[in-house]
Amino acid sequence: MRAELVLMGRRVDMARQGRRRALVVGIYAALAVLITAVWAFTRWHGGGVYVLWAVLIACRFFLGGYYRGGLVKPFQSRRPMREDAAPSLLALKLRMYRPVLDSDEAGLRNDERELRQRDRAHYLAYQAMGMTVVLVALMASMRIVLPPLRARMGMPADELYYGLAVITLTLFLTLPQAILLWTEPDMG
Amino acid sequence: MTDNGKGGPGESGLYNRIAVLRAELGVSRQDLADAVGVNYQTIGFLERGDYGPSLKLAFAIAEFFKLPIEAIFATEPFRPLSEQVYAKTGTRD
Repeated sequence: MRAELVLMGRRVDMARQGRRRALVVGIYAALAVLITAVWAFTRWHGGGVYVLWAVLIACRFFLGGYYRGGLVKPFQSRRPMREDAAPSLLALKLRMYRPVLDSDEAGLRNDERELRQRDRAHYLAYQAMGMTVVLVALMASMRIVLPPLRARMGMPADELYYGLAVITLTLFLTLPQAILLWTEPDMG
Repeated sequence: MTDNGKGGPGESGLYNRIAVLRAELGVSRQDLADAVGVNYQTIGFLERGDYGPSLKLAFAIAEFFKLPIEAIFATEPFRPLSEQVYAKTGTRD
Protein backbone atom coordinates (compact mmCIF):
# COMPACT_ATOMS: atom_id res chain seq x y z
CA MET A 1 0.00 0.00 0.00
CA ARG A 2 1.18 3.48 -0.78
CA ALA A 3 1.65 6.07 1.93
CA GLU A 4 0.61 9.05 -0.17
CA LEU A 5 -1.89 10.06 -2.82
CA VAL A 6 -0.91 12.08 -5.86
CA LEU A 7 -3.75 14.37 -6.91
CA MET A 8 -3.22 16.93 -9.65
CA GLY A 9 0.51 16.75 -9.05
CA ARG A 10 0.13 17.32 -5.30
CA ARG A 11 1.21 14.73 -2.79
CA VAL A 12 -1.18 14.04 0.09
CA ASP A 13 0.23 12.16 3.06
CA MET A 14 -1.97 9.17 3.89
CA ALA A 15 0.41 7.29 6.17
CA ARG A 16 -1.89 7.74 9.17
CA GLN A 17 -4.58 5.12 9.58
CA GLY A 18 -7.03 7.79 10.75
CA ARG A 19 -6.71 9.67 7.48
CA ARG A 20 -7.27 6.53 5.45
CA ARG A 21 -10.34 5.65 7.49
CA ALA A 22 -11.69 9.18 7.02
CA LEU A 23 -11.15 8.78 3.27
CA VAL A 24 -13.05 5.47 3.23
CA VAL A 25 -15.95 6.97 5.21
CA GLY A 26 -15.99 10.01 2.91
CA ILE A 27 -16.04 7.92 -0.26
CA TYR A 28 -18.84 5.64 0.94
CA ALA A 29 -20.85 8.64 2.18
CA ALA A 30 -20.46 10.33 -1.21
CA LEU A 31 -21.43 7.12 -3.04
CA ALA A 32 -24.47 6.66 -0.78
CA VAL A 33 -25.61 10.21 -1.54
CA LEU A 34 -25.02 9.66 -5.25
CA ILE A 35 -26.91 6.35 -5.33
CA THR A 36 -29.84 7.92 -3.47
CA ALA A 37 -29.85 10.98 -5.73
CA VAL A 38 -29.62 8.94 -8.94
CA TRP A 39 -32.47 6.70 -7.79
CA ALA A 40 -34.60 9.69 -6.72
CA PHE A 41 -34.12 11.57 -10.00
CA THR A 42 -33.97 8.80 -12.59
CA ARG A 43 -35.60 5.78 -10.88
CA TRP A 44 -32.66 3.91 -12.42
CA HIS A 45 -33.72 4.68 -15.99
CA GLY A 46 -30.21 5.04 -17.39
CA GLY A 47 -28.89 6.35 -14.07
CA GLY A 48 -26.93 3.32 -12.90
CA VAL A 49 -24.06 4.15 -15.24
CA TYR A 50 -23.35 7.36 -13.29
CA VAL A 51 -22.80 5.33 -10.15
CA LEU A 52 -20.47 2.99 -12.02
CA TRP A 53 -18.46 5.94 -13.33
CA ALA A 54 -18.24 7.43 -9.84
CA VAL A 55 -17.00 4.10 -8.44
CA LEU A 56 -14.37 3.78 -11.16
CA ILE A 57 -13.18 7.35 -10.54
CA ALA A 58 -12.98 6.68 -6.80
CA CYS A 59 -10.85 3.59 -7.51
CA ARG A 60 -8.68 5.42 -10.05
CA PHE A 61 -7.80 8.38 -7.85
CA PHE A 62 -8.29 7.30 -4.23
CA LEU A 63 -8.76 3.63 -3.49
CA GLY A 64 -6.61 1.98 -6.17
CA GLY A 65 -6.61 -1.76 -6.68
CA TYR A 66 -7.12 -1.72 -10.45
CA TYR A 67 -5.03 1.17 -11.70
CA ARG A 68 -1.64 2.70 -11.07
CA GLY A 69 -3.31 5.50 -9.14
CA GLY A 70 -4.84 5.30 -5.68
CA LEU A 71 -3.52 3.96 -2.41
CA VAL A 72 -3.82 0.22 -2.91
CA LYS A 73 -1.39 -1.33 -5.37
CA PRO A 74 -2.94 -3.13 -8.37
CA PHE A 75 -4.44 -6.45 -7.22
CA GLN A 76 -3.01 -8.18 -10.26
CA SER A 77 0.41 -7.35 -8.87
CA ARG A 78 1.81 -6.74 -12.31
CA ARG A 79 3.44 -3.77 -13.85
CA PRO A 80 1.13 -2.21 -16.48
CA MET A 81 2.28 -2.50 -20.07
CA ARG A 82 4.24 0.41 -21.40
CA GLU A 83 2.18 2.51 -23.78
CA ASP A 84 3.88 3.59 -26.98
CA ALA A 85 1.23 6.17 -27.79
CA ALA A 86 1.89 9.77 -26.76
CA PRO A 87 -0.12 10.95 -23.75
CA SER A 88 -3.16 13.11 -24.39
CA LEU A 89 -2.89 16.85 -23.89
CA LEU A 90 -5.61 16.68 -21.24
CA ALA A 91 -3.67 14.09 -19.25
CA LEU A 92 -0.56 16.29 -19.40
CA LYS A 93 -2.49 19.41 -18.41
CA LEU A 94 -4.08 17.64 -15.45
CA ARG A 95 -0.69 16.16 -14.55
CA MET A 96 -2.26 12.73 -14.68
CA TYR A 97 0.27 11.23 -17.06
CA ARG A 98 3.15 9.31 -15.59
CA PRO A 99 5.28 7.10 -17.80
CA VAL A 100 5.78 3.52 -16.66
CA LEU A 101 9.39 3.28 -15.53
CA ASP A 102 11.37 0.22 -14.58
CA SER A 103 11.93 1.82 -11.17
CA ASP A 104 8.14 1.77 -10.63
CA GLU A 105 8.24 -2.01 -10.42
CA ALA A 106 8.44 -2.11 -6.62
CA GLY A 107 5.61 0.37 -6.31
CA LEU A 108 3.29 -1.77 -8.41
CA ARG A 109 4.12 -5.28 -7.32
CA ASN A 110 2.78 -6.62 -4.02
CA ASP A 111 5.18 -8.47 -1.77
CA GLU A 112 4.19 -11.67 0.04
CA ARG A 113 2.62 -9.89 3.04
CA GLU A 114 0.63 -7.58 0.79
CA LEU A 115 -0.59 -10.54 -1.27
CA ARG A 116 -1.74 -12.23 1.93
CA GLN A 117 -3.52 -9.04 3.03
CA ARG A 118 -5.10 -8.72 -0.42
CA ASP A 119 -6.46 -12.27 -0.30
CA ARG A 120 -7.79 -11.79 3.24
CA ALA A 121 -9.50 -8.54 2.24
CA HIS A 122 -11.19 -10.23 -0.72
CA TYR A 123 -12.33 -13.10 1.48
CA LEU A 124 -13.92 -10.68 3.96
CA ALA A 125 -15.41 -8.53 1.18
CA TYR A 126 -16.98 -11.47 -0.62
CA GLN A 127 -18.48 -12.73 2.63
CA ALA A 128 -20.22 -9.35 2.93
CA MET A 129 -21.38 -9.54 -0.68
CA GLY A 130 -22.62 -13.08 -0.15
CA MET A 131 -24.78 -11.75 2.67
CA THR A 132 -26.14 -9.09 0.30
CA VAL A 133 -27.05 -11.74 -2.26
CA VAL A 134 -28.75 -13.82 0.47
CA LEU A 135 -30.70 -10.70 1.46
CA VAL A 136 -31.82 -10.17 -2.13
CA ALA A 137 -32.88 -13.81 -2.44
CA LEU A 138 -34.77 -13.53 0.85
CA MET A 139 -36.59 -10.42 -0.34
CA ALA A 140 -37.42 -12.10 -3.63
CA SER A 141 -38.85 -15.12 -1.82
CA MET A 142 -40.86 -12.84 0.49
CA ARG A 143 -42.31 -11.17 -2.56
CA ILE A 144 -43.45 -14.56 -3.79
CA VAL A 145 -44.63 -15.83 -0.43
CA LEU A 146 -46.03 -12.58 0.99
CA PRO A 147 -47.27 -10.33 -1.84
CA PRO A 148 -49.04 -7.90 0.57
CA LEU A 149 -45.73 -7.24 2.34
CA ARG A 150 -44.06 -6.21 -0.89
CA ALA A 151 -47.02 -4.02 -1.78
CA ARG A 152 -46.53 -2.16 1.52
CA MET A 153 -42.86 -1.44 0.69
CA GLY A 154 -43.97 1.20 -1.81
CA MET A 155 -41.11 0.62 -4.24
CA PRO A 156 -41.51 -1.25 -7.53
CA ALA A 157 -39.71 -4.56 -7.49
CA ASP A 158 -37.54 -3.76 -10.51
CA GLU A 159 -36.27 -0.55 -8.86
CA LEU A 160 -35.58 -2.40 -5.64
CA TYR A 161 -33.61 -5.19 -7.27
CA TYR A 162 -31.74 -2.87 -9.62
CA GLY A 163 -30.80 -0.71 -6.63
CA LEU A 164 -29.52 -3.75 -4.76
CA ALA A 165 -27.58 -4.82 -7.85
CA VAL A 166 -25.96 -1.36 -8.03
CA ILE A 167 -25.03 -1.53 -4.34
CA THR A 168 -23.60 -5.04 -4.78
CA LEU A 169 -21.54 -3.89 -7.79
CA THR A 170 -20.28 -0.89 -5.79
CA LEU A 171 -19.20 -3.18 -2.95
CA PHE A 172 -17.66 -5.65 -5.40
CA LEU A 173 -15.44 -2.95 -6.85
CA THR A 174 -14.54 -1.07 -3.67
CA LEU A 175 -14.87 -3.17 -0.54
CA PRO A 176 -11.54 -5.08 -0.72
CA GLN A 177 -9.61 -1.79 -1.01
CA ALA A 178 -11.71 -0.24 1.76
CA ILE A 179 -10.92 -3.18 4.08
CA LEU A 180 -7.21 -2.86 3.30
CA LEU A 181 -7.21 0.91 3.93
CA TRP A 182 -9.21 0.47 7.11
CA THR A 183 -7.09 -2.27 8.67
CA GLU A 184 -3.52 -1.30 7.71
CA PRO A 185 -1.92 0.41 10.73
CA ASP A 186 0.03 3.67 10.66
CA MET A 187 2.98 3.51 8.32
CA GLY A 188 6.23 4.57 9.88
CA MET B 1 15.82 -8.56 20.88
CA THR B 2 14.02 -11.31 22.71
CA ASP B 3 10.36 -10.58 22.36
CA ASN B 4 9.93 -8.17 19.48
CA GLY B 5 9.65 -5.36 22.02
CA LYS B 6 6.02 -6.15 22.84
CA GLY B 7 6.34 -8.71 25.62
CA GLY B 8 5.36 -11.50 23.22
CA PRO B 9 6.00 -12.92 19.79
CA GLY B 10 3.27 -10.89 18.08
CA GLU B 11 0.62 -12.33 15.80
CA SER B 12 3.08 -14.51 13.91
CA GLY B 13 4.10 -16.53 16.97
CA LEU B 14 7.74 -16.04 15.99
CA TYR B 15 10.47 -14.21 17.88
CA ASN B 16 13.14 -12.48 15.85
CA ARG B 17 16.26 -10.36 16.10
CA ILE B 18 15.88 -8.38 12.90
CA ALA B 19 15.72 -4.96 14.58
CA VAL B 20 18.86 -5.63 16.67
CA LEU B 21 20.82 -6.97 13.72
CA ARG B 22 19.71 -4.09 11.54
CA ALA B 23 20.77 -1.57 14.17
CA GLU B 24 24.09 -3.35 14.59
CA LEU B 25 24.82 -3.02 10.88
CA GLY B 26 23.36 0.47 10.62
CA VAL B 27 20.96 -0.65 7.91
CA SER B 28 17.62 1.09 7.38
CA ARG B 29 14.35 -0.75 6.90
CA GLN B 30 14.30 0.46 3.32
CA ASP B 31 17.79 -0.93 2.66
CA LEU B 32 16.89 -4.31 4.09
CA ALA B 33 13.57 -4.29 2.23
CA ASP B 34 15.30 -3.53 -1.08
CA ALA B 35 17.86 -6.27 -0.45
CA VAL B 36 15.29 -8.98 0.24
CA GLY B 37 12.66 -7.73 -2.24
CA VAL B 38 9.79 -6.63 -0.04
CA ASN B 39 8.10 -3.37 0.95
CA TYR B 40 9.71 -1.48 3.85
CA GLN B 41 6.44 -1.73 5.79
CA THR B 42 6.78 -5.50 5.71
CA ILE B 43 10.10 -5.22 7.55
CA GLY B 44 8.28 -3.28 10.29
CA PHE B 45 5.64 -6.01 10.51
CA LEU B 46 8.38 -8.65 10.70
CA GLU B 47 10.26 -6.80 13.44
CA ARG B 48 7.11 -6.43 15.54
CA GLY B 49 6.34 -10.12 15.01
CA ASP B 50 3.02 -9.27 13.38
CA TYR B 51 3.90 -11.18 10.24
CA GLY B 52 5.50 -14.59 9.86
CA PRO B 53 7.75 -14.66 6.77
CA SER B 54 7.71 -17.36 4.12
CA LEU B 55 10.65 -19.74 4.12
CA LYS B 56 12.02 -17.94 1.05
CA LEU B 57 11.93 -14.55 2.77
CA ALA B 58 13.37 -15.94 5.99
CA PHE B 59 16.29 -17.42 4.05
CA ALA B 60 16.78 -14.16 2.17
CA ILE B 61 16.99 -12.27 5.48
CA ALA B 62 19.38 -14.85 6.92
CA GLU B 63 21.55 -14.53 3.83
CA PHE B 64 21.53 -10.75 4.12
CA PHE B 65 22.79 -10.87 7.71
CA LYS B 66 25.09 -13.83 6.91
CA LEU B 67 23.72 -15.75 9.86
CA PRO B 68 21.97 -19.10 10.23
CA ILE B 69 18.22 -18.78 10.15
CA GLU B 70 17.83 -19.98 13.76
CA ALA B 71 19.97 -17.05 14.91
CA ILE B 72 17.34 -14.66 13.58
CA PHE B 73 14.01 -16.44 14.04
CA ALA B 74 12.88 -18.65 16.90
CA THR B 75 9.67 -20.02 18.34
CA GLU B 76 10.97 -19.51 21.88
CA PRO B 77 12.18 -16.18 23.32
CA PHE B 78 15.87 -15.51 22.67
CA ARG B 79 18.16 -15.40 25.67
CA PRO B 80 19.36 -11.83 26.30
CA LEU B 81 22.64 -11.15 24.50
CA SER B 82 24.25 -9.97 27.75
CA GLU B 83 23.43 -13.28 29.37
CA GLN B 84 24.92 -15.21 26.47
CA VAL B 85 28.09 -13.09 26.39
CA TYR B 86 28.67 -13.24 30.13
CA ALA B 87 27.98 -16.95 30.25
CA LYS B 88 30.68 -17.51 27.63
CA THR B 89 33.34 -15.26 29.18
CA GLY B 90 32.50 -16.32 32.72
CA THR B 91 32.84 -12.78 34.06
CA ARG B 92 29.46 -12.86 35.71
CA ASP B 93 28.87 -14.57 39.02
